[in-house]
Formats: sequence, structure tokens, C-alpha cells
Amino acid sequence: MAKPEEKLRCTKEPFIEDVGTRRIKSIRFSVLSGSEIRKSAEVQVWNNRIYGHDMKPVPNGLLDPRMGVPNKREKCSTCHGEFSDCPGHFGYLKLALPVFNVGFFNCILDVLKCICKSCSRVLLFEKDRREFLKKMRNPRADALQKSATMKKVRDKCKLSCCPRCDYRNGVVKKGRAGLIVVHDCSKVLDGHTEELKNALQNKKEKVSANSVRVLDPATVLSLFRRMTDEDCELLNLGDRPEKLIVSEIAVPPVPIRPSVVVGSSRTSNEDSITVILKSIVNTNSILKETLHTGGPFTKCFDCWQYLQLQVVEYVNSDAPCLPDSQHRGLVQRLKGKTGRFRGNLSGKRTEYTGRTVISPDPNLKITEVAIPVLMARVLTYPERVSNYNIEKLRQCIRNGPFKYPGANFVTQPDGMKQSLKYGDRRITARDLKCGCIVERHLEDGDVVLFNRQPSLHRMSIMSHRARIMPWRTLRFNESVCNPYNADFDGDEMNLHVPQTEEARTEALMLMGVQNNLCTPKNGEILVASTQDFLTSSFLVTRKDTFYDRSSFTLLCSYLGDAMENIDLPTPALIKPIELWTGKQLFSVLVRPNAHTRVFLNLAVQEKIYSKKKGKKEAGEETMCGRETMCPNDGYVYFRNSELLSGQVGKATLGNGNKDGLYSVLLRDYNSHAAASCMNRLAKFSARFIGNHGFSIGVDDVQPGEHLNRQKKKEIDGGYKKCHDLISLFAKGALALHPGCNAAQTLEHNITGVLNEIRSIAGNVCMDTLHWRNSPLIMSQCGSKGSPINISQMVACVGQQSVGGRRAPDGFLNRTLPHFPINSKTPAAKGFVANSFYTGLTATEFFFHTMGGREGLVDTAVKTAETGYMSRRLMKGLEDLSVFYDQTVRNASGGIVQFLYGDDGMDPAKMEGKDGMPLNLDQLFMKVMATCPQRGSDTLSPEAIKQMLEDKLLQHDTSSDGGCSEEFKKNLTEFLDKRIELMKCTRRALHLHEDHVEKKDSCVEESVAAIISGISAKQLQVFLDTCLSRYQSKKIEAGASIGAIGAQSIGEPGTQMTLKTFHFAGVASMNVTLGVPRIKEIINAARKISTPIITAQLLSKKDVLSARIVKGSMEKAVLGEVAVAIQIVLKSSQPNLIVKLDMQLIESLHMGISADSVQLSILNHPKIKLKSEHVRVIDRAKLRIYPAGTDKRKLQLELHNLKSILPKVIVKGIPTVERVVIDEVKVKNETERYQLLVEGTNLLAVMGTPGVDATKTKSNHIMETNQTLGIEAARRSIIDEIQYTMKSHGMNIDRRHMMLLADLMTYKGEILGITRYGIAKMKSSVLMLASFEKTSEHLFNASYSGREDQIEGVSECIIMGIPMQLGTGILKVRQRLDHVPEFKYQPDPILS
Amino acid sequence: MADDDYNEMDMGYEDEPPEAEIEEGAEEELENNNEDTPDDVVGAEAEDKEQEKIARARKTTKYMTKYERARILGTRALQISMNAPVMVELEGETDPLEIAMKELRARKIPFTIRRYLPDGSYEDWSVDELIVEDSWKRQVGGE
Repeated sequence: MAKPEEKLRCTKEPFIEDVGTRRIKSIRFSVLSGSEIRKSAEVQVWNNRIYGHDMKPVPNGLLDPRMGVPNKREKCSTCHGEFSDCPGHFGYLKLALPVFNVGFFNCILDVLKCICKSCSRVLLFEKDRREFLKKMRNPRADALQKSATMKKVRDKCKLSCCPRCDYRNGVVKKGRAGLIVVHDCSKVLDGHTEELKNALQNKKEKVSANSVRVLDPATVLSLFRRMTDEDCELLNLGDRPEKLIVSEIAVPPVPIRPSVVVGSSRTSNEDSITVILKSIVNTNSILKETLHTGGPFTKCFDCWQYLQLQVVEYVNSDAPCLPDSQHRGLVQRLKGKTGRFRGNLSGKRTEYTGRTVISPDPNLKITEVAIPVLMARVLTYPERVSNYNIEKLRQCIRNGPFKYPGANFVTQPDGMKQSLKYGDRRITARDLKCGCIVERHLEDGDVVLFNRQPSLHRMSIMSHRARIMPWRTLRFNESVCNPYNADFDGDEMNLHVPQTEEARTEALMLMGVQNNLCTPKNGEILVASTQDFLTSSFLVTRKDTFYDRSSFTLLCSYLGDAMENIDLPTPALIKPIELWTGKQLFSVLVRPNAHTRVFLNLAVQEKIYSKKKGKKEAGEETMCGRETMCPNDGYVYFRNSELLSGQVGKATLGNGNKDGLYSVLLRDYNSHAAASCMNRLAKFSARFIGNHGFSIGVDDVQPGEHLNRQKKKEIDGGYKKCHDLISLFAKGALALHPGCNAAQTLEHNITGVLNEIRSIAGNVCMDTLHWRNSPLIMSQCGSKGSPINISQMVACVGQQSVGGRRAPDGFLNRTLPHFPINSKTPAAKGFVANSFYTGLTATEFFFHTMGGREGLVDTAVKTAETGYMSRRLMKGLEDLSVFYDQTVRNASGGIVQFLYGDDGMDPAKMEGKDGMPLNLDQLFMKVMATCPQRGSDTLSPEAIKQMLEDKLLQHDTSSDGGCSEEFKKNLTEFLDKRIELMKCTRRALHLHEDHVEKKDSCVEESVAAIISGISAKQLQVFLDTCLSRYQSKKIEAGASIGAIGAQSIGEPGTQMTLKTFHFAGVASMNVTLGVPRIKEIINAARKISTPIITAQLLSKKDVLSARIVKGSMEKAVLGEVAVAIQIVLKSSQPNLIVKLDMQLIESLHMGISADSVQLSILNHPKIKLKSEHVRVIDRAKLRIYPAGTDKRKLQLELHNLKSILPKVIVKGIPTVERVVIDEVKVKNETERYQLLVEGTNLLAVMGTPGVDATKTKSNHIMETNQTLGIEAARRSIIDEIQYTMKSHGMNIDRRHMMLLADLMTYKGEILGITRYGIAKMKSSVLMLASFEKTSEHLFNASYSGREDQIEGVSECIIMGIPMQLGTGILKVRQRLDHVPEFKYQPDPILS
Repeated sequence: MADDDYNEMDMGYEDEPPEAEIEEGAEEELENNNEDTPDDVVGAEAEDKEQEKIARARKTTKYMTKYERARILGTRALQISMNAPVMVELEGETDPLEIAMKELRARKIPFTIRRYLPDGSYEDWSVDELIVEDSWKRQVGGE
């Protein structure tokens, strides 16, 4: 770099072509040679002193000023740059002798194994060499294949004699201590060594022939130098191998290893790197000195070894050959969470951020966030001055940095930045021109990003509109708590301000709250009313709430901020006074005035909905209309935005559903409709409940007299039952459960009894509570608390469990010393009979804390585990996205799915259950309500079918590309059901089923038309909406569906309570569930903790055949089926007699005979007998003779056999632990029997006679892969994750699992989402290095000279480049064809 | 904590992961890797763009994706904020983003979207050819 003062000053600046910003396209990894290091260095470092006496850095020392600026005060003496400009310059350090680089040590060993230690050629015959070279040079081979070939070459190079120079090569190994390569020739002996040995023996001194030689770095270097280029290529070397050995060290620039002078003293704190380098310089000079003066060989060698270790420490201070290092080497700087890769490259620190405590404000819109003025004065947005905003910005500048709507900096068009803290602001404001950039304070309406950690899914960071408010907290509408998982108990949240117009546009469009109301996990609504909002809606829609004109209008005015017109509905009661119901208020809330064209139609069953009829005599009521007559008023029914029935609660307004009010508004109208409804409800609710009042007191949890009596009766009864069970158990007369022993059965029974006590007490409690009881109201509307919570407060806390069973014994055979030993009574095992109101006894309290602690421990353990799982999932799936041809591919273009989720639908937009695109029932209801039958025609069944077919056909041939078969099937089925209903109605009215008359032809016709008729218009509207909405639900090109999938699977993991086990139908058949199970599946574990094969039977309903099949699978050993195994010591030939228990065998249908036993004895691997030794006497008897003829050992052998024989497996599959017959019940009736096989070997189970092999499946994915193939394994992954999630009550769209399963299987083998699996899926070094094993990936990449395209997500983030997905998938080009004609163009000169 | 599965301490000389050898037959996959990356050149290929248009019909969706919409509005808003001539009549709007939205509603944004297909070819769609769905109120956030 030229020094500034020497720069040539021209009158005219030379023209430099502006090439625009350049993009890093690829990155190559390589190793620097000594000369390259020397060339790029500014200074040679040889001085071991750092600071001189004057506390100035010593020239040629480690802090030589030519290597960059150490602090802000000084200037670089190489480039004369300031601290902020000069990036620093390298120095170099010449080593006296070469040393190994630890990072490449394995590579060096591999290379040495492959070459002749004399002539440096590859130890391969010419033919092999050519073949491998051809493979290596294959242009299609990717890096993974090349390194595999390299491994093959290494394994092939076992020649002991070099084919070219006949030199004897031994084995190259790593030395014991330190970093030494050993060439061990002791195994390869030839004439020469023999001769040498003989010769040495004759010598007087004791010199042994040392066939083990140490290959020191200098020797290795000379060997490497002589290698041919072709051999290098063969060994997958990207460059010359001598570069792997260090002869020069590049000394890094000073700024990256700052030296801190302590106070004013003469000492300084040096960076680890400097310290290590200093000792290297020291050792190096000593070594040089010794070599120069010709010191003793051993001293030289020791010194060299020491140097080697220090260089190792420099590179990697955790290397195993080092004792233990206090310093951080280069590798330590890169790896780990806070290392360069994860800490600085993948995640960066930003400006324009804020963080503070959050608090709620229901008066804000859901899209807004209130930002304190204090914060708004610091966070700025650089606004460019244009004609529109110049006056506003002038005012901002005049206000300056300390008065709120002000500005902090102004940047002139020439790039000069001016602070507004100093100088006359009025002059600056006056001189403000278009094109300046003003860093103004944040103002209302600015786009900000709002985030709360842990950011588990994309809704954890959303963009809001800013509202600048006084005070000191960030505030937002409580409805948005859910996506952030925030509460207001002291949580803090972060705020980021996007700094460019593009950034804020993209943030608003893609991350805005209103665009993220639904979770892409399963399409359920996430932003919805919570807590108090639900309570007040519940209270106001009660059947008995009436308001007169004044109070109703007051309530209506609560809805908005006096900005909305409200049309008062007709009062429900007119005489004696006008009264409005609370339900009418809700209608106003949904549709405040006639201009709002929102026609909401929905029907939801609330929590309080009961199917019981109000009175028992209403037995023959007709089907229709009964739901709305629910005695609890639990059936919410909106028709054309009017609440007709039902008390609204969580199912209607809350989050986590697909058919609630907001979901329907969002789907039928748009997000704005849903959002404004939420805003209105929030505002209304806050005011209403503030006036109405809602609180809990002690009297709310006081049990009544009746409840107390009931509870006492229940508990006494239950205790007695338990005592009876215990005494039965003591007598041993307990009837056992299948597959359980007595103790397990007892536990099982007692737990059942105790749970029943709790639930009965709870039911009584809920029944006796007054209807105005606050906890009851809250639990009914779903805002907080469950019936269990209430009954724990009022009636009985119930059984405390630790690890899924009753409290364990902490003392000898008892839980606490308060109880007798071996006591199994409810109280002694953690049953809490008291309620929180009555107070717990000391022992009860102790048991309660035991249960409580388990929960705490769980959460602590879980977070770490699921966090790591999420991280791995994210790394594995991050770069998968949908391309414009609808395929799902990874960043390098490899196809993972041809069509996302088999139908190309967006999971976030799914309306129906189980990922169905549409909720046809709801849609049909809406169409029927909003599009009433006019005219007289209703369609006949044939006409309906005809119309459907026409529509589908028309749709298929249109350019949209039709819809999936499944959707078509669903639509047809739905309409068939409608037709069936119609026929049913007509039958009831005694009309012709298929032939529809005109509506006005008779009364029955018109009734039928009203009940279930469909007019042509209605059907057309319905079908059109279905199809057009189906189109709009397709996944959009560019969607980063991989990341969404990873989050959708990772996020529920954090919510999974560590309920690890559950019963698969039968007691004692445990299946691993929860996070451990998900981990097993994702890791593609070869050994899973509970492998279970579900086998279907050919004769499903026959218990006997099930037992027979079970008997043939379960393993039986000879000891179990034999009556006796005796040693018979007779004079002729001593032998063993085995008698089989034929009675048992027959009763269990085992089908064992003496012949089969003979066969299994002969096949036993440890018994080496021949068929003549095992003789079958009859069908139940065998005689076994020992094999040996030696008389002395006979006795021993017989006893040996006697001990082995009982363990011989005579029947069944050895890997099967247990088989349980499972009764599948449908509506309390046995439908079929199936077998649950605990253990592995799917193939054998499928092959067992009586098993329906086509329907048998295993939960072991690797085994499924081996037995049935990769497609079966893929299906198995999907089903198993789905099953695990379902059993925790979590519903995740199947498409996410499909994507994960496809990623794990698309290479043809199952790759786990672990560091090994991901390394095989991805080719990018940077991505792998930012995941795990950072240094290894980097060293291997530079060994083979990898060239990496920068195309994946991780690489792009590291390089700071926009990635190729989302908005980056396309390019925008300016169209120049029709520039509009401007009015202000100059007048023509000639006219 | 979470990474404890991954032993930070070892550099791993001996513990190579158990890995299956890659079969020779597997060489066929992933052939066109390098050709797949979308070309970055934008301006230089105006001529063969014309040819391509005639050569084959466009296959991608006629609807504008939300990513395209966001990108276009962002780019356009940036242009407008830098005093680019506005293509619609203004009714008091000053926010560049709102002006850009108004332009898009009137289909007056003078942009062409270049959609890259995975094989490196591309399709050009001008903004007014694409169907922009849904009402506009929702993007504004406020009323």
C-alpha cells in the first residue's frame, strides 16, 4: 500500500472502472508454503523480547509496529493507517528445523503409509495405481467420494516391498509419546536384517538391531519433496505434501492479539498466542544456537522435540499429545460456541437494538409495540431527505438529539457525517438538501423487529409498528404473548430497527404480526385472545346478561377508540324497556357497522358443551338443532356475524385451534379482519372487566358441607379398598394382570383406586361450586386453570408421583421414617388427602415437594437436550427450500422432494384437520348462509354430481395445474354425504329421492329445499371458492421450508414433559416416548431402548391362534421345557439324560419334540457336539454323550454340559424378549388381536407362520431399512415421529415429518441428523465447520484443496451475502421500455 | 451445555466414526452440481433472453409469491425514497413504502422479475403480468 504522502497528485483523477460490488462465489482451502508465508510477511520475527526498556515494542519482536496498530493512539508503520483502517500485517518466524503441524498429523501419517520410505513412490503396483488414479480424476466424483477413494488407497498400500526400488517398508505408526512417527520394520524381515543381526551379535558392545526407526519431520519433509505430482493426486492431496510440514510460522498481526499494559506499571498482559509464540521464538533460538555450535545430538533432539510440542500448542492447545496447556491455541479461537465460527461469523453483534422489561397494554393494536421515549431517542432510522419529508426532517434536526422527535446525525450527499450534538442545528436544518440522510429518532409507525429468547420458531421474532410512549417498558397487546411465549413476570425482550427501506419492507411483509397469525407447525392460530379477554367475553355472553340503552352503548363505545362507526342492533327486548343481550354486543364486536362486509359463520363446541339433554324425557328429539339447545349454552353458533347461541370461551377466541372465530375470519376474509377483531376485543375486555371486577378470595376455595362429607366418604372407602388389596397381596391371593408380577399388580390397582378418589372428589367439588365462583368461571372459559387445579385447592390434592410411580423408598423399605417398614398404604406412599385449603400434613408436604422437584429437574434437563436437538435439526435442514419448479432442493441443487409434502401445500395455510387444505363443512355452511336460495330451483343429486365433475375437469385443464387426487376425493365424498343427507330428508318427507320438483310445487318440496336443498348458485359459489382457495394455499417458491420444518419439530420438543414411558395398550409394555424417542429417531440410532414389533395375525379374532403364534415366537430355553437334566454315571459310557415336559409343551402349543431339541443343541455355538453324541430315545427323551474321549476330563465335561444345556434355546426367536397379546378394542368390543413383540429381528417375526407379514411393522427404523428397504424406513420415520408427537398431545403437520424423513433417506441410506450424518448430506466445509468438529473439517479441506461454492445458508451468513432463498431466489430488473412521460420536461427549442 | 454430546476435548486421532464405504455405483448422483448454480450475470444476456422467450412457454406460477412482492416493494420503496419519479398520482402519501404499494396496486411498477429455475435457466415476468392476490389493507398494519 502506498503511503499517502507519496501518492501521485494528478490534476485529474485517473479513471477507475466501477465494477460494482463483488460477490464471493467460492472459497478455496489450501496450505501456505514457507516461501508464501515469507512473501506475504512484512517482518521477520526473531527477537524473543517484546518490549524494550522504554516500553516500546522491540523491532523484530512479536509486537513489532510493522505488524499493525496495537491501540488507537498509534499509526501503522507499514501502511500508515489508523487503528480503524489498518487490518494488520503478518510477520514470519523461521524455524531452525521443520516440525509437524498437528492438524495435518493424521494426513501426514496417511501419506507416509502410502509411500515408499526410500523412493517416495506410492506403494502400489502400476495397474492398481492407474485404476485408482482414474477414479480420483473422475470429474463427477465429489469430495466425499474422493476421500473414500483415498481411504481405499491407504488400505491397499500394504506392500512390504516397494515395486520400484525394492526397499523394505514396514508399518508406519503414531509414536507413543509426543508427536512422533514411527517406522516399524520389525515384522518385515529379509536377508539383510538377519545378516545385520548376526553381525551385531558378534560385536562386543551391546548394540541391538533397531528395526523401529523414528521418522523425524526433516526426513519426512525430504520424502515428501521427492513425491511425484501424480502420486499426490492419487492421495487426494490438493497441493504439494511438503506444505503439511511447518518450516515457517506466519506470525499473526498485532491487532488480533492485543497486548494490554497493566496500569502504569512496566508489565503487560499478553494474548495466549503471543505467549506461545514467544516461547517458540525462545526455543527456536536455542535450537539454532545448539545446531550452530554443534551441541550434543541428544540435546539437539530434545530441543527439537520441545519446539515441536510448542508448535502443537500454538495450533491446538487441546491436542492429546500435550500434557495440559494453559493457553488458547489457534484452533481454540475457532471452535466452540463462543469461537470465531459460531460466535462471530454465524452470529454477529448489531447496532440499533434495545432491550428492556415488557409489560402489557391492551389499548395497543396487536401489530404495535410501545417503545419508551428514552429508547426512541437512541434508536434511529436513516431517512433520506426528499421533497415529501424535508420539513419534517428539518424540525427533527432543530430538535436535536435530546428532544424527542429529533435526530442524531446528518450525512451529507458527499458522505460527510455530522453529529447534531454540537454546532448550530438551525443552520444545519436550513441547509438541508434533498439527498441528505438524517438519522432521525424512531417515530410512530416505524417498522421494528421484536424478539424474545429462546427464539424457537420464526414467530419468536416478528415485526411491529412502533408507538413511542412515555415510561420505561416495552409494551404490547397481550394477544401476542403466545408466539413469543412471554409473560410479564419480569421478562425482557429485544428490539431491532431495520435500517434500510428494503429491510423494513421485507420485515413488514414477511415478518409482520398480521402475516404470522398462524403457526406453520400445523396451521393453528397462534395470535389470539388470552386470559382476561376470554373471561370477560365469557361473562358478557352469558345468557342472562341484558343491558339497557345507556349501558349497551357504553359497552359499544369500549370497542374502539372513538374512531369507528357503530350501528346499534335492534334490541332483543323492546317492551317494557329496550334491552340488548350480551350476545348482541359480540355481534357488534365482529361487525360494528353495515359497511364492514364481514359475514362470519361458524359453529364451535366450547369446553362447557355437554351432550346430555337438558331433561331426560327429551328422548325422541330430532337430530338437527339439538346442539344449540345445550343446557350449558356451550354451542357457539355465529350466522352472518350474529352470535345466535353459546357462551364464547377459549375454543372460539383462544389460540391453538383451526375453527375458532379468528381462524375463520382470517381464512374467509383476511388477516386484517381477524386483527381488528382482536384489537376490539382487547380494548373492550380491558375496560369491561375493569369495571365489572373479577377476583379470587379464600371463600372461593372453601368446600361446602356436602363436599366435605362426600370427600370423607370417598377417602374412607378408597383407603379400605387399598387395605383390602394390600392384605390380599400379603396373602399372595391377588389376581395378576397379564405380564405383571404381584407387586406391579398391587401398585397398578392401588393407583387406580387413588386416582378414582381424586377424580370423584374433583367431580363433586365442581358440581357443588357456585356458578359465580371465579376459579370455576376461569376454568370453564379456558382462560386459566383446569378442574384438577380447582379440586386440588378445594377438595383433595391427590397422589404425588415421582418418576411416574408412587413416591419411592428413601429409607429402608419405606418412604419416610414416619411409617412402618414395608408399608404400602396410600398415605405412606405419597397420597395427599388434604386440599390446599385445609393444608397439608408434614409428610404430605414432603411428598408434594418431591413431586414438585421432579418437575423442576425435568425442565432444567430438557432445555439443554432439546436445544441441542433443535440446533442439529436446523443445521441439517437449513438450506432446503422450494424452487420455482415446485421441487424441494438443497442449496447445491440436489433434489430432496419432487413436490413438497406430496401435494405442494403450505402447512401454515391448512384449514382442515390432519393437514387437509380446507374445512369443507365450515365452508359449506358459510356459503349456505351468505348466499341464500333465491328463485325456485334446487339441484337434484345427479345435477350436483354433474356439476362437480365439470368443475374439476375444467379446473384440471386450466393453467393452474389442478389439485391433488386426495383433495378431489375429499370434495366428492363431502358432496356425496350432502346428497345422502338430502335424500334422507326427502325420504322423511315422503318425496321422490332422486327427482327434485320445483320448490313451489308443494309444501313438502319447499321444506325439503330449505332443510337440505342446494341451489345451482350455491353449489357454484361453493365449488369456486373451494378451488380458488385451494390454489392460494399452494406453497410459494422460495419458502425456506427446511428451516420451518426444523423449527416445527424442534419447538414442540421443549414443551414435551419428560413423560418418557407409556403403556402401549397392555400394562408393562413400555415404549420410549418424548424427547428421548425423538432423539433416537433423528439420530438414526442402531440400538434403540424399546424396540417393539407390532405383528398382525392372519386369523385376527382367534385368541387361541394368537397364543400359538406367540408361543412360536417367544424364546424358550431347554431348562424351561425339561423336567430333568440328569447325569447318568454308568460303567459303559457316562451320559446326560434330558427329559422334556411334554404336558407343558402341549398345553402351551410349543411344538417342541426331542428331534427339534436335538437340532437346536447341535446348532448351539458353544456346544461342540456331533449328531452321534446326541441321541433321541423317544419323543420326550434325549441322551447326550460328551464328545471327549479323555477319561480324566469326563467328569468335568459332563458338568460343563449340564450347566450349558438349560440355556440352549430350543424354540423361538433369540432376540425376542417378550410377546404380549394385545386386544384392539373398538367401542368396548374386541375387534381383533395383535401381537406386540418386544425385541428385534423383524424378518423372523414376519416369517413366523400365522403372522400377516404385509401388515407387520417395527418401530426400529434401522431394522426396517435393512428388512424392508429405504422407502419403508422413510415411512417408518414419518409415522414414528408423528406417533410420538401425538402421544404428547401435539399436532404437527405431516409435511414437516415427510421432509425430515426424505432428508434422512434421500442418499439411499439412513443418515441421522448427527455430525456424521450431516457430514454425508452436505458438502460445504464452512457449514460443517460452523456445526461441529470445526478444526477437523478445516484441516481436511485444506489437505485436499477443497473449493467450496458459497451457496448454502450458513456459508452465506458467514460471508455476509444474501442467500438464494426467500426473497433472494429471484432477481429484479428495471424495465426501461415505457418510461412515463413527465410533465416537467423542458420545452422544445424548436417548435 | 447442549453440545456436551460432542466432546470438545478430543481432536480425535483414533476415533474415526464407523462409516460405510461408499459404493462405486453411487458415483452417478449429483452430477450437475456445479452447473446448477444460478448465473449471476444480469445485464449481459439481454439477447439470449429474447431467444429464450420465444423458445419455450413459461411454466412457473402466474401468481406473485409473497417473496416476490416483498422484494419488489422493497426495491421500489428504496427507489422512491431516493426521489425516483412516481408512477401514480399521489393523494398525500409520503411514506415510500405506501407509495410503492399504491404503484403495485395500479400495476405501474416498472420491474421485471427474473425467476431462476434450478437448472440455471430463468423466466422473466413483468410485474403487471402477475396476479397479485389478496386485499391490500393487511400489509399496512394500521387502518
